[in-house]
Amino acid sequence: MPDFDVIGRSKPKIDGRAKVTGEAKYAGDLKFPNMLVGKILTSPHAHARILGIDTSEAGKLPGVKAVITHADVPELKYGISPARWDENIFCRDKVRFVGDKVAAVAALDEETVYKALRLIRVEYEELPAVLDPLTAMNDGQPQVHDEYPRNINTEIHQHFGDVDQAFKDAYHVRTDRFVGQRTYQCPIEPHSAVSMWADGKLTVYSSTQSPHYFQYYLAREFGLAMGDVRVIKPFVGGGFGGKLEPTGLEFAGAVLSRLTGRPVRMFYDRHEMFAHNRGRHRQYMELTSGVDRDGRILGLYANFIMDGGAYTSLGVASAYYAGAMLPLTYGFENFKFDMYRVYTNLPACGAQRGHGAPQPRYALECHLDMVAKDLGMDPIQIRLVNARRPNTVTPNEFRVNSCELTACLEKAREMSGWDEKKGNLPPGRGIGVAVGSFVSGAGYPIYRTDLPHAAAVVRVNEDGTSATLYTGAVDIGQGSDTVLCQMAAEAMGFTYESMKIVAADTETTPHDFGAYASRQTLMSGWAVKRAGEEVKAQLLSMAAELLDVDASTLDCRLGVIFDVASGTARLNFTEVARTFFVKRGPLVGKGSYAPPKLGGKFKGAAVGTSPAYSFATQVSEVEIDAETGEIKVAGVWDVHDCGTVINPSLLSAQVHGALFMGMGESVWEQVVFDDKGKIMNGNLGEYRLPTALDMPKVTSALVHGEEPEPAGPWGVKEVGEGATIPTMGCYANAIYDAMGIRLDSLPLSYEKVWKALKEKREQER
Amino acid sequence: MYLPDFAYYAPDTKEEAVELLVRSRGTARVIAGGTDLMVKMKQGLLSPEALVSLKNLDGLKEIGTGSGGLFIGSRVTLNELINSPVIQATYPSIAGAAHQMANNQIRHTGTMGGNLVSAVPSADLPPIFIALNARVRVTGPAGEREFPLSDLFLGPGRTSLAPGEILTGVVVPEQKTTGSTYLKFGLRRSGALAVVGVAAAVTMEGPTVKDARIVLGAVAPVPFLAGEAAKTLYGREFTTELAEEAGRVAASECRPISDIRGSAEYRRDLVRVFTRRSLEKAVREGHV
Repeated sequence: MPDFDVIGRSKPKIDGRAKVTGEAKYAGDLKFPNMLVGKILTSPHAHARILGIDTSEAGKLPGVKAVITHADVPELKYGISPARWDENIFCRDKVRFVGDKVAAVAALDEETVYKALRLIRVEYEELPAVLDPLTAMNDGQPQVHDEYPRNINTEIHQHFGDVDQAFKDAYHVRTDRFVGQRTYQCPIEPHSAVSMWADGKLTVYSSTQSPHYFQYYLAREFGLAMGDVRVIKPFVGGGFGGKLEPTGLEFAGAVLSRLTGRPVRMFYDRHEMFAHNRGRHRQYMELTSGVDRDGRILGLYANFIMDGGAYTSLGVASAYYAGAMLPLTYGFENFKFDMYRVYTNLPACGAQRGHGAPQPRYALECHLDMVAKDLGMDPIQIRLVNARRPNTVTPNEFRVNSCELTACLEKAREMSGWDEKKGNLPPGRGIGVAVGSFVSGAGYPIYRTDLPHAAAVVRVNEDGTSATLYTGAVDIGQGSDTVLCQMAAEAMGFTYESMKIVAADTETTPHDFGAYASRQTLMSGWAVKRAGEEVKAQLLSMAAELLDVDASTLDCRLGVIFDVASGTARLNFTEVARTFFVKRGPLVGKGSYAPPKLGGKFKGAAVGTSPAYSFATQVSEVEIDAETGEIKVAGVWDVHDCGTVINPSLLSAQVHGALFMGMGESVWEQVVFDDKGKIMNGNLGEYRLPTALDMPKVTSALVHGEEPEPAGPWGVKEVGEGATIPTMGCYANAIYDAMGIRLDSLPLSYEKVWKALKEKREQER
Repeated sequence: MYLPDFAYYAPDTKEEAVELLVRSRGTARVIAGGTDLMVKMKQGLLSPEALVSLKNLDGLKEIGTGSGGLFIGSRVTLNELINSPVIQATYPSIAGAAHQMANNQIRHTGTMGGNLVSAVPSADLPPIFIALNARVRVTGPAGEREFPLSDLFLGPGRTSLAPGEILTGVVVPEQKTTGSTYLKFGLRRSGALAVVGVAAAVTMEGPTVKDARIVLGAVAPVPFLAGEAAKTLYGREFTTELAEEAGRVAASECRPISDIRGSAEYRRDLVRVFTRRSLEKAVREGHV
């Protein structure tokens, strides 16, 4: 490993103290003079025509300052995916799910807002609802949107190589079907936004993963110049994909503020978060593969249907990701992918940690274990046979540089004691393996633009004792502020402790697309590294002038400028930076990053492209209670190829957090609806996230290739989402190993285990 | 979600509290920890016109033993139950049941009395208390009275408390029970309601079962004694096979429904499993 001073070390989180002491202010904590409180009235029906809305009684309630409906807001449809703008600020003709936006109120306090909402009279004509994605495309089904016949939101047909020929050539062909469930991100901080529209300028403080996309879509919706919209991210308590797009809180809050001339704070309650959703899609997945005698995959066919809910959200990308990420881990050449993402009268689904990848990965990892069993192969062996090699290209034209999947598999085998345990565990115990891979940032932004993906400015403060990093990158709890300050200090030759940061404010920080697709360490990191290096170059040129030597003879590390040849300290950062300011003006460095042109030319080729990919293997050992179906996880071993590590303890936290979410989706979490499309468990009591007590012992390790990843600054790659991806398949495979039952739908609930065991006993009898 | 409007009283005596309830003609509700009531009010499932808080009635915080047995005041919180040296010394199985409830934050606030009078079918305390023959003490317009806890529950959310009556505590009578326990099956290790809860209390004479009480939670509108299952045990030598047989009888006695936490079929089989396991635990490990 190269020698670093600031990166590669577990520096304390830059905002740790503020968060632990409660000093950190989140959007919902903010208070401004004369601020009003606003809320949205939502639909009680899954599908209904709006016949009339009477807001007169609500408007008369003392303390109410504004009541708005579709008549008061722009008609322009919006959505985070430009391919399908299908959402209005408020429903105009009909409501499309329980929770759809109908009206909003701003009042002096929360109590009055809730009372006013109850006074709004909406007359509905109920319509038959589409709740089943499998029948939504049939003739005669109700239409969710008139513009999208047969409720088809997205249709994908991709074919690379020749899958049919591959199956003909194969020694063994097998088809399996799986179902992935609807889950919700459940960030602990509910969505909040404070909007202020004054003097032609809209300012929004929001719990967001991307001030930039919020700024872009708010400006578009209201016909404002982007410069007249300012979006500021305060502290954020988690997003996981659910806070990537502006919600009714920002749009309705802006209108309420414009009408009243006062700041308006809008927020979702927990059950409203579930209704707004944008979580993981329910997905029906059929996989067919053909392998040779050695288990080498010759071709793979993925045939999927996704329940999109009532709107597109980021679902076009989710649909493409579902197939596109499959070939990353295994080196086959023939790949076919068919997908229908259909509209239903349920909350809209979008991007959730790992985006479209985790459920198809669960399906493929289960499928591959079944193929291995057919061939009499060890599950790790079949993965080693197929594991992708570095410097290869996938059939869907993703260029993979560094790739240590083979090393991940070998390390996981060794750490977990796989060879000793496999086949030798006591009854009720089993061990399973699965792999995964994820992007280190998306190759293309969500809407078409030639803006660089990330930019940064470093300004050394005038007395030279500290430097401030200005970045549009978005810390939502994952620690990007900390990591980027480490990177800036490393690039400048300064210390982490001297760094300050101003981030995620569209007016004071340079552009960045935000926190999604595991992009910031690589993409924002490049911009920060370049900005830091520009500072260092200027600093050394000043030092060279003061010392009357050539700048190339000098370097700076940890605030000390020294002669490279002798290693002798000559000057310090602070005094030279101060002199720089006196003689030459502000010491500022800037940097930006745009990825190279990536991917193929076919339809949808952009989705899944990335400058670099992470790879991971997980092994888990489970213990099953044969009578109750209860699953106890005895241990998890996670091995990651995530490139150079900037902050080891934050990296561990990401792995643990991602695994925690993957575990929740594996065993416990599912959004459940009644037959009217109403959520039955929109709360943290019945939507069961795992608790700290449910967390198993996790042993993690990293592997590195001989050459660092060339596409990342200092060789970094992603980690934040990658560890979510293998978990579901890994658990399913371990359960199979323990009990000989194959659960083909998520979650792998205790009752499903119990039922499968019962059926197995009855069959054996 | 926001609380509806309501009047709020915090009387200093039981008599005042009773009078306030009587005067409200059924429109007021008693509040102690509020961990169940506040949620239901926010959800609009309950909208009492007034709340009568017991927070100033310090007498209801008592835990003590006397001639009548073990007395636990209704305002005792779940964590106080868990940490009480008196309960640890008498029936740690009560503490054990409380420890399986909700999560630490809620156990600090929620009270024993609240857990009983909410009459939630899946509540965790009623089974162990009924298994231990507990009686409830109430005070009301007609004075004090005491009756078996099993008679308190009429249906989900419904109790036999008369208008104006307040639960003041629970009495666990002195008994020669050999062992008791409560086993809960929840869908995660903390903060999960019982899919099935089974309490067992057994009295042994050497290897033979002299008496047994098996109480099932979450598998009927109210927690109930599985009388037939208990009868299969009387006078017989205790073995795992016998416990399994009692479990099968208990499974046939229960009346579970299917809901978001589990199907009726699943619950019925879990009753079998947990009846056997709770009997074995009570017989072999005592009051745990």
